[in-house]
Amino acid sequence: MTDTIQHKAYLFDATRCIDCRACMVACSVENNIPMDKTRIWVAGVGVTGEFPTLQRSTMVAHCMHCVHPDCMSACPVGAYSKAADGPVSYNPDLCIGCRYCMNACAFGVPHFDYDKGIVDGAFIDKCTFCPQRIYNGDEPACVATCPTDALEYGEREELLKKAHERIAAHPGKYIDHVYGEFEKGGTSYLVLSHVPFRDLGLPEMDEHPINETTEAIMEGTIPFAVAWAGVLTAVAGVSRVISKQKENASPEKPHTEAKE
Amino acid sequence: MTNTLSRRDFLKLGGAAGAALAVGQILPAPVAQAAKEAGHLNADGDGYISSMCEMCVWRCGLIAKIKDGRVVKLDGNPEHPHSRGNLCPRGQSGLMNTYDPDRVLTPLIRVGKRGEGLFRKASWDEALDLVASKMKEIKDKYGPEAMVFSSTHNLSQVQFENLLYAYGSPNYGTQRSLCFNAMITAFLLTYGVEEPARNYENAEYILMIGRNMMEAISTSETGELSRALDRGAKLVYLDPRYTKTASKATEWIPIRPGTDSAFLLAMINVITQNKLADCEFVEKYVQGCDELPTAMQRYTPAWAEQITGVPAATIERIAREYAAAKHNAMAHPGWRTSNFINSFQTERAIATLNALSGTVMSPGGCLSTEVAAEGAGLGAPPQPPYPRVSALRLDGAPWMYPLVPLKLGVFQHLRDSIVSGEPYQAHGWFISRQNPVASLPDRNKTLQAFEKMDFIVTVDIVMNDTAWFSDVILPEASYLERYDPLLPVGGKAFLRQPVIEPQGEAKSALWIYKQLGERLGLGDFFQYADEEDYLRQQLAPLGVTLEEVKAKGYAEMPEEEHSGSEFTFNTPSGKIEVYSETLKNAGFSPWPTWEEPPMPAEGEFYLLTGKVAQHTQFGTQNNQLLHKYSDEPRLWMNAKTAAARGLQDADWVLVTSPVGKAHVQLLATEAIRPDCVYMTPGYGHISKGLTTAFGVGASDSVLHVTYTDPISGGQALSQTFVTVQKA
Repeated sequence: MTDTIQHKAYLFDATRCIDCRACMVACSVENNIPMDKTRIWVAGVGVTGEFPTLQRSTMVAHCMHCVHPDCMSACPVGAYSKAADGPVSYNPDLCIGCRYCMNACAFGVPHFDYDKGIVDGAFIDKCTFCPQRIYNGDEPACVATCPTDALEYGEREELLKKAHERIAAHPGKYIDHVYGEFEKGGTSYLVLSHVPFRDLGLPEMDEHPINETTEAIMEGTIPFAVAWAGVLTAVAGVSRVISKQKENASPEKPHTEAKE
Repeated sequence: MTNTLSRRDFLKLGGAAGAALAVGQILPAPVAQAAKEAGHLNADGDGYISSMCEMCVWRCGLIAKIKDGRVVKLDGNPEHPHSRGNLCPRGQSGLMNTYDPDRVLTPLIRVGKRGEGLFRKASWDEALDLVASKMKEIKDKYGPEAMVFSSTHNLSQVQFENLLYAYGSPNYGTQRSLCFNAMITAFLLTYGVEEPARNYENAEYILMIGRNMMEAISTSETGELSRALDRGAKLVYLDPRYTKTASKATEWIPIRPGTDSAFLLAMINVITQNKLADCEFVEKYVQGCDELPTAMQRYTPAWAEQITGVPAATIERIAREYAAAKHNAMAHPGWRTSNFINSFQTERAIATLNALSGTVMSPGGCLSTEVAAEGAGLGAPPQPPYPRVSALRLDGAPWMYPLVPLKLGVFQHLRDSIVSGEPYQAHGWFISRQNPVASLPDRNKTLQAFEKMDFIVTVDIVMNDTAWFSDVILPEASYLERYDPLLPVGGKAFLRQPVIEPQGEAKSALWIYKQLGERLGLGDFFQYADEEDYLRQQLAPLGVTLEEVKAKGYAEMPEEEHSGSEFTFNTPSGKIEVYSETLKNAGFSPWPTWEEPPMPAEGEFYLLTGKVAQHTQFGTQNNQLLHKYSDEPRLWMNAKTAAARGLQDADWVLVTSPVGKAHVQLLATEAIRPDCVYMTPGYGHISKGLTTAFGVGASDSVLHVTYTDPISGGQALSQTFVTVQKA
């Protein structure tokens, strides 16, 4: 079954983005985001250099919809899920406000509503991939409105092909890499850039999914804890036996500790 | 059943003032009813209706998503050539203009002093009767010329103009002299074409002179430029600021403000001296082509280097690259070209460069028929001839400014004449969808002009700075709540139609102007029963019903005949007039020429203004969504210049010009020339009726000195010099 489901993705091209923020307004309206919150923001170092040799490095940042989502991995109550066709979604009804996902996400995506307490319905918020639009044949709101096609939406494989073709067609224009193709096992937000990806605020990462490592460790924690408890119990038992023997052997208390 | 209330009946009910709201609540909402009948909305009232954006003057097609009688989302209409499925941030935010909590939803009559902000609610009848009686009084006492009318580019402007011409006033203020007078006057004189078309499809080499296309967004054109750059077209961009367009340009030239024409004249010099032009085209079509090399001889790249600060070798190289691209080289005409009093010469040089490359001949070149006169091919209600006007225009056109096209006018001069009372005193001001208090240079002087007025009435959707000082405010329905006359674009006449019911007692401009016309005894000039009747009369020659147009969003227009390969130009010689007898006869240089602009003194800066992508002029700062996503408006100053003056980023500074002072926070940045500072226009609102925008940023119009270009009548908005001190 899952083999036939296609993985959707975004392709962002920093050379095309004019930082107009139509995507942000579109997202805010489409998803009815409160006036003091946002699911999309401008990332990157902005204008760098000295007049008149300048460069602008900005990108439209929102959830990367990772193939191996760390937020989902960190969530203790299963509020996150990864759809087979791409979207990493989040269920506010299950959220307990622990904010582990915020610490786990390498891209700083999930945001917490610090204005509210848990009782008031404090929740984590992030990009949803506009399921109400993509499952009705539309593009996500941010993509649909982009006047310069800096944001595109489609099948991940096709977008990757398009991205590599674009790099090949414009020698010297792009960094020869599609960010998100392999980073920590791949993301569904792919980025093309003319400046180093770190200048767009994207962390350097190897191809290995972070959560494979963390989950492998986490899976070992219970057996490890049980075994370690056994070891400690054994050590404690042995130690008690030894100290009892010592008490019997030497009644005088040791009176000085090594203190320099 | 009796639920078939027509739009016409609803409007009549609306005229019955106080009863309207109550009745409207009982009867089915007419917009929703009509939309259901057209099949746009389902039985629950949810669905999609197409209309047109009004967040700037580009007028993209939009599709409004309606749920429970409210607009919940706007998307670009893929069928409209201006949007092609996209909307810019302003277009996306449009529903927040409609749902602005600061909307004025009933007519208001001032009760306090002007500028005190005290108003009382009034019925439409009372407010309209008051406005009509005041307008009659002024006409009887001082003549119709004592009433000033002003309005900025909008689809109902044709009926606004109808009201003012029927009333008989020659005094009409538009935004044009604050915006594109230089560009339009220069292209009219050179090509006989008002707004040259731009062709990106084949463009290989694009020269933009301060046209910040990536921030002053025209959705489809911005997209076209972006795609051209993607394809590998080269963009050479002149601007003293590193704008977002500069960041996308192949080459950014931070030229000294006011010297663009020197740069361009030197390009013409290189092209003509080296015979690099499209000779066949030039010989055939350009008036003055033989003498042009001689006329341009003194404008050498070395000469231009001294003036512009751009190396002669760079100018020479760019001229040669431009010429090499032949028909695929475009010198963009620009848009808001009101920069210096020599901006007209800049535009003449741009027009000349396009003639030399032969760009005008390429598909979509400036001869394109795409830009048809508004309303051409459409019907119109019958009306009697307008009364003859004999009074001089207060804006000085044409008796002081002989070459300024009358439809463009000189708004800043009109304001000055109100203050001086010369050649006669104006007494009343009717303002619709315009904000002269914020837009005209020298705000204090505009407020002085207001003091001279016996009566001021403003039509708007919010209490803008101008409404704040008005005697009566008439609440207009927002662009999502009303009809406007049809707009032909690219072979189709597009419809703006209401997608939701007007809120409160807001009414369309078409209704307001008609009501006033009737009360002024000018009913014969408004022979339409209501908005739908007006549209039906427009559609009559096309043989399409309004219902079809409402369903589809547009009507197909009959195809226009395109001329063959031969061109004649609508100029006295029938050629492209690089050499213009008209200019010569008016006492100006017949050739594009260099006029030295003033320079800031030691310690002064050029004060630059220019758009950001999130706002349109002075009208969107109160939109909460745009407020949310726009950068805080600060005074840009070069970081090293700031440091040398002991100023730090985010310091509060006092900016002083010859006419005003403004407190503003500093942005220390590398992205601007050391001799310039920049302010985002449209901030620093006075009206406390704008609860989002009030108290945000400072007003650039407080600082701007009024300087008028004698040829085009354009205001020189970058010619104000300021000092900056720590506040």
